[in-house]
Amino acid sequence: MKDFRVLKFLDKFSSIFEKFGIDYKVMRKIVQIKLIMDSRRVPTVFNNRSRRKENTEGEGSVFSKPSLVYVFISLIMLPFLFIKANYDFCMSFVFGIAMFMIMTTLIADFSSVLLDLRDRNIISSKPIESKILSMAKIIHICIYIFSITMSLTGIPLVVSLFRHGVIFFIIFLLEIILMDLLVIMMTALLYLVILKFFDGEKLKDIINYVQIILTITLTIGYQLIGRMFDFTSLSAVFVPKWWEYFIIPVWFGAPFELILNGNHNIYNIVFSILAVIIPIISIILYLKLMPTFERSLQKLDNNGEDKKSKSKFTDKLANVVCFTKTEKIFFKFTSDMIKNERDFKLKVYPSLGMSIIFPFIFMMNGNRNFSNIGSGKSYINLYFCALMLPMVIMMVKYSKNYKGAWIYKVSPLKNTSDIYKGTFKSVILNLIVPIFILECIIFLFIFGIRIFPDLILIFLNMMLYTVICFKAFKRALPFSVPYATGKQSEGLVIIPIMMLLGVLALIHFLATFVTFGVYIYILVVFIIDVIAWKFAFSVKI
Amino acid sequence: MGNDIENIITIKDLRMDYGEKDILRGINLNIGKGQIIGYIGPNGAGKSTTVKIMLGLVEGFTGEVKILGQDINGQAEYKRKIGYVPEVADIYESLTAEEYLTFVAELYGVDSKAADKKARKLMSMFGIENVYNSRMTSYSKGMKQKVLIISSLLHNPDILFWDEPLSGLDANSVMIVKEILSELASQGKTIFYSSHIMDVVEKISNRIILIKDGQIIADGSFEKLKENSKEGSLEGVFNDLTGFNGQKDIAKDFVSTIEEV
Repeated sequence: MKDFRVLKFLDKFSSIFEKFGIDYKVMRKIVQIKLIMDSRRVPTVFNNRSRRKENTEGEGSVFSKPSLVYVFISLIMLPFLFIKANYDFCMSFVFGIAMFMIMTTLIADFSSVLLDLRDRNIISSKPIESKILSMAKIIHICIYIFSITMSLTGIPLVVSLFRHGVIFFIIFLLEIILMDLLVIMMTALLYLVILKFFDGEKLKDIINYVQIILTITLTIGYQLIGRMFDFTSLSAVFVPKWWEYFIIPVWFGAPFELILNGNHNIYNIVFSILAVIIPIISIILYLKLMPTFERSLQKLDNNGEDKKSKSKFTDKLANVVCFTKTEKIFFKFTSDMIKNERDFKLKVYPSLGMSIIFPFIFMMNGNRNFSNIGSGKSYINLYFCALMLPMVIMMVKYSKNYKGAWIYKVSPLKNTSDIYKGTFKSVILNLIVPIFILECIIFLFIFGIRIFPDLILIFLNMMLYTVICFKAFKRALPFSVPYATGKQSEGLVIIPIMMLLGVLALIHFLATFVTFGVYIYILVVFIIDVIAWKFAFSVKI
Repeated sequence: MGNDIENIITIKDLRMDYGEKDILRGINLNIGKGQIIGYIGPNGAGKSTTVKIMLGLVEGFTGEVKILGQDINGQAEYKRKIGYVPEVADIYESLTAEEYLTFVAELYGVDSKAADKKARKLMSMFGIENVYNSRMTSYSKGMKQKVLIISSLLHNPDILFWDEPLSGLDANSVMIVKEILSELASQGKTIFYSSHIMDVVEKISNRIILIKDGQIIADGSFEKLKENSKEGSLEGVFNDLTGFNGQKDIAKDFVSTIEEV
């Protein structure tokens, strides 16, 4: 059986595990099996007829190549390493970015690992103590998180070594490890608390909502870091306030100030202590509570009572927006699927949450002066609302029950065009339109009725953008491809696609300077939309 | 009772509820060495829950469960003596049978090389040796079931908990498994299995336990069960005891509903 370098590295610490009463050999075996499974993409239902070649993969791509998306994001941190300011200011920022990225990844990609129920039947029925399984799970997650962290902080670490010297580098490195541990434990403990109080279907819904709230909170918290420093003077001055005790990235900024600048004020000392103590406490707490966690997991298996039958609203909506029978069928099918598929919600809803707040965040950042915001052109920021479109379009082809897609093959469907149209119409109306309308109402309050044509234009552009996204991603029938843990092969495509959205917004912005420019743009985009929606979805699978 | 050693499994007043729904409402059982016990009952009667409790997969029950004379609460070591085939074919599909089987065997503390040899042999006896090194995603339901059966036997357990072991197997394989069961029982192993295939249960069990709504409503050999019912087959006894006799009417309604469209 294939061995992993990570595990060989882990072997060096085997005695530590033994000290905690954990059978290292068994734990290693479980982690190894999990890693093997992750390194294998499960073939989709349509191409598994040809026997797959065995053992062709390397060590799951997550380990060998650093994920380019994270490397790209890590570049954002670099300026903060060069700013002439207090260490606690810039390092809070760096840790803010890193924590945000890691926590959202963990929630989106590894909730399924934490909440895997197969382990119960397969492993717990064997003479394995539950703490070994818990430990194996945590090691499994740590391996991924550390590999992501490496891509995310590798370049900043090296840069910091040259810019600030060895001590800075060491503090940075140690704190990154502490931060990773804290993030993992926080997520797990959060789930534990939820599992304690709820069960069955409700629990999964609650996890979903918590994930969304968490993502939004993190985004806002990230804004707060920026605001707690006084920007008026160039050397940002740190003005501590009581609520900053709860903004975790600030903890990690403090040790640099304390050790390197010898700034011994009470805040720095308290924050530094928190940065070290809290991760350690959370690990101990986690190890203590993990058996309870595993036990609570059985609730996930317990399906509650029948829900009341769905409203007729979807049916009516389908009749209004769909023109053919196939479209209607897939409109309803997709509506049902996205309401019920938790993995879909898990991956998509957090980004929906972001698209609610992004327009406001960017609007506020662009305007320091709130009094005359209403007469300006910041409503263009509403385009940020469409940032989730690529994600949604990309995710709609995935499903946990991808094998159910045989139904496409046996049913007498001829035209893929109607399948996609129905699916995307459903996705847009169920997920995007509600958010868009909400934002429109708020923006109409701020900017007045004069922006109404612009709102229509933004919506039309979003329709066009849907087609662009569809064309850019790998095509597959809706809900026919399995999720692959820890791999987002298409993640990289998202960045250029997001830039295209910027182009659409820029044209809109320029059009506002021309008389009737917006109206002409509306007409043009409307015609393109009609044509694009008519022809673009007719593709061979 | 002085036969605690003879009793491999003792269950006293086992109760379990998921929230407001009662799954088990007082199960009492003594199972001796070498018995083949067929555990039958309608869907949702609590069969799988009983098995899962005995394996420590479900917690929050009340009552006493002893296996090999030891209270199972919080223990793990007794599982070394048990082989388990779960009801739903939960399996790490992206592994090959070789990887999966050696993995499971190692969890039981069996040496991986020995397990590999044994597993390959057993696979070939089931006629699926050719896919031993293929991923199980490509397996049929029957093949997965065979792998699960093998995985429950590699460590030579004393007790077998087989939840629906025959699901997905073809007629020939069912015959093989039936023979394996009697052979294992004659070697002194205790077998506790559940099935919906009544004529198989009728033929190979030397004790049948019928459970309904979380309670045992019949317990004994097939002959004994027959005495209490006027039906001649286990299927008849089953329908009789579970109070179900509307199949003809339901079938009629069913077909007439199909023809409405």
